[in-house]
Amino acid sequence: MHIHKLEQYWFIAIAAVLGAFGAALFASILVFGVQVPTPVSRIDPQQISTAFPEPGLRDLGNKRYTAHFTAQTWFFTPKEIKVPRGAEVTFLVTSKDVTHGFFIEGHDVNLMLLPGQISQAVTQFNRPGTYNIICHEYCGAAHQTMVAKIIVTE
Amino acid sequence: MQAAHSPRRLPALTFPSFAMLASEQWLVGSHILTALAALFLGIFLGPFQAFRRSPFFMETFTDWQIPFFSYYYQALTVHGVINALFFTTFFIVGFSYFVTQRSLERPLWQPSVAWAAFASIFIGLGLVLYAIMAQRASVLYTFYPPLIAHPTFYIGLVLMVVGTWLVALNLFMTYASWRSDHPGEPVPLAVFALLTNFAMWCVGTLGVAAEILFMLLPMSLGWVKTTDSQAARALFWFFGHPLVYFWLIPAYVSWYTMLPKQTNSKLFSDPLGRVAFLMLMIFSTPVAVHHMFTDPGISMVSKAIHTFFTFIVAIPSLMTAFNVGAMLERAGRKRGGTGPLSWLWHQDFGNPVVAAQICAMILFIMGGFSGIIQASLTLNIALHNTSWIPGHFHMTLASATALTFMGITYWLLPLIRNRALWNRKVALGQVYTWLVGMLLFGHGMGAAGIAGAPRRTDFAGSPAGYLSVEAIPWLNSAAIGGAILLLSSILFYVNVIGTLAFSTKPVEDEAPISTTGDPHAPLILERWSLWLGIMFVLIVIAWGPVFAQVFDFTNGFKSLPFSPMGSPMQIK
Ligand code: HEM
Ligand SMILES: [Cu+2]
Repeated sequence: MHIHKLEQYWFIAIAAVLGAFGAALFASILVFGVQVPTPVSRIDPQQISTAFPEPGLRDLGNKRYTAHFTAQTWFFTPKEIKVPRGAEVTFLVTSKDVTHGFFIEGHDVNLMLLPGQISQAVTQFNRPGTYNIICHEYCGAAHQTMVAKIIVTE
Repeated sequence: MQAAHSPRRLPALTFPSFAMLASEQWLVGSHILTALAALFLGIFLGPFQAFRRSPFFMETFTDWQIPFFSYYYQALTVHGVINALFFTTFFIVGFSYFVTQRSLERPLWQPSVAWAAFASIFIGLGLVLYAIMAQRASVLYTFYPPLIAHPTFYIGLVLMVVGTWLVALNLFMTYASWRSDHPGEPVPLAVFALLTNFAMWCVGTLGVAAEILFMLLPMSLGWVKTTDSQAARALFWFFGHPLVYFWLIPAYVSWYTMLPKQTNSKLFSDPLGRVAFLMLMIFSTPVAVHHMFTDPGISMVSKAIHTFFTFIVAIPSLMTAFNVGAMLERAGRKRGGTGPLSWLWHQDFGNPVVAAQICAMILFIMGGFSGIIQASLTLNIALHNTSWIPGHFHMTLASATALTFMGITYWLLPLIRNRALWNRKVALGQVYTWLVGMLLFGHGMGAAGIAGAPRRTDFAGSPAGYLSVEAIPWLNSAAIGGAILLLSSILFYVNVIGTLAFSTKPVEDEAPISTTGDPHAPLILERWSLWLGIMFVLIVIAWGPVFAQVFDFTNGFKSLPFSPMGSPMQIK
């Protein structure tokens, strides 16, 4: 099959552009440490009260915390957590009923919450202020009211 | 199939260029008119959604509701399901019958099967609409369980899918009989593309068919009490990405094979067009995990594999940009464009059919780049489920596809009605308002998404402080885009009704069909078993681990049963 010269150049350009995107992708993972949700563990959603720790914030010392959340129509538990500036928080979240989302506005946490799956993200809060955690997956009539807060103190 | 000249070779059927045969008129006409009627229901909701998501609009008209709907998500379900699943399907099927019969110069294998398919999809549409309007199926067009809709919703979708399988069978058999009559000849490019499209569709729909038949419908009927949402999502998206190309390939058919005639030009390379269509088919499925990057139950390795293939599947669209771009350059130069760039603005911008396709391409270029960005695993973390995503697919689905289909309507509807398009100026106005409106809308939605506005959310009912302040101006500008698109949609339907009811002039635009393929196109490109085999291998590589994980084969095929509060959840 004959391929025109110009088209051959175009193929090279395509390869270069896609290669650049690919390189940027690897750089973002290897150099900047951006993380993508990966499987943590699975639980029987019928047994959440025994299989999943009591929702809330736990201080691990050294400004490191874990925060367990559950989502259900149409609220998160807990509704609010307070951490000091510079805190590194590991979020462990699951859903008790339908599909929900866990999205911290202005932050790099973006998780889907599925019943039976635990979603995890680690992030650091360096600026004091109030951050919304919103459910960003449609979960029924009052989906747009599903919000919790993270307060980062000085 | 490579049999020598069969003695029963069908005589070529000749189709009039400026009219339709009666059988064609009925069959193609029924599909296209149903598609346009469906789009009528769906399209006008779009601007209203944009208004309802605009804080300025809702402060000005407090408590305003989308007309006829008591509930935002019910309207959004109609908009998504009708526009994305039924308008597209009816249009694509009608268009594919038209193109296949005319390009191959022969009737369909079985017109009766075509009518059975039509009936199946039509009843499917009715059932789905009933379920949504009865407030029993506000589950959006992705219908993720454990949200469960009324059984009629799923039965309607099953009828739709089964109908399209019959369509595919009919097209494949028509091609097979042409093939045996034409040994050694490449099939016309348009038909080649449509065959890849329906082959891809048949593979992709297996996922959603399994999801509905084994998980959702039985649960909705109360036969099973549990479901697994990660497994359901995997099956849905196995279908979801091929679905996206199912919408795109027919628009490409118009750009590759019809626009050259409409602009008095010639395609740069027919064989490379075939390669692009084959690539779209082969790589449509092993990429679909990019819709589930933030899902907890899918491994990093699977996410990386699908990201890799996602970059590959951008290649055929970039090849299209070259091939179709070079064709337009030739057209522009014929119209007096000189120099390296001036052919760009020496196009036939006064012809609505051409203008619609060029505007669709302009929007598609933006949509395509936003697509590569959001497909980059790590950037996706910032954008997943924000309004960036609908910003993206209104440039692709709602523009590259829908605006091209409107351009097709401007010559196809006259053939169906046997009258000229009612008003070309109105059509031009429609095209350019769509371009401007969609640029504003898409940009507003994208920027609001970067600022943190989620998609599929009825902000009018959110508590104070929910929406990030940076997103507010962009949601307002998206609503202005929506208002312009409302005008554009009205202009479109004025012309549709005008052409059906008031036009008196004879048909002006010829059916842009070629009955031959480029003789240089290598026949190996039609060795379907080879390409489908490669597609199958890639599916096993890319999806095997995903399904093994979500169905947990290591633990003895144990999915995570889940029953929402004991009984299927009826979302009102
Ligand atoms: C008149 C022009 C249109 C406007 C102003 C418009 C507006 C919108 C808006 C604002 C949303 C997002 C709502 C939300 O996330 O809460 C949306 C969703 C959507 N639109 Fe459109 N739309 C238009 C035309 C179309 C067309 C022509 C199609 C397809 C052929 C389409 C397909 C979709 C789909 C599939 C969704 C996603 C629904 C979901 O997320 O469940 N739209 N549209
Ligand atoms: Cu929710």
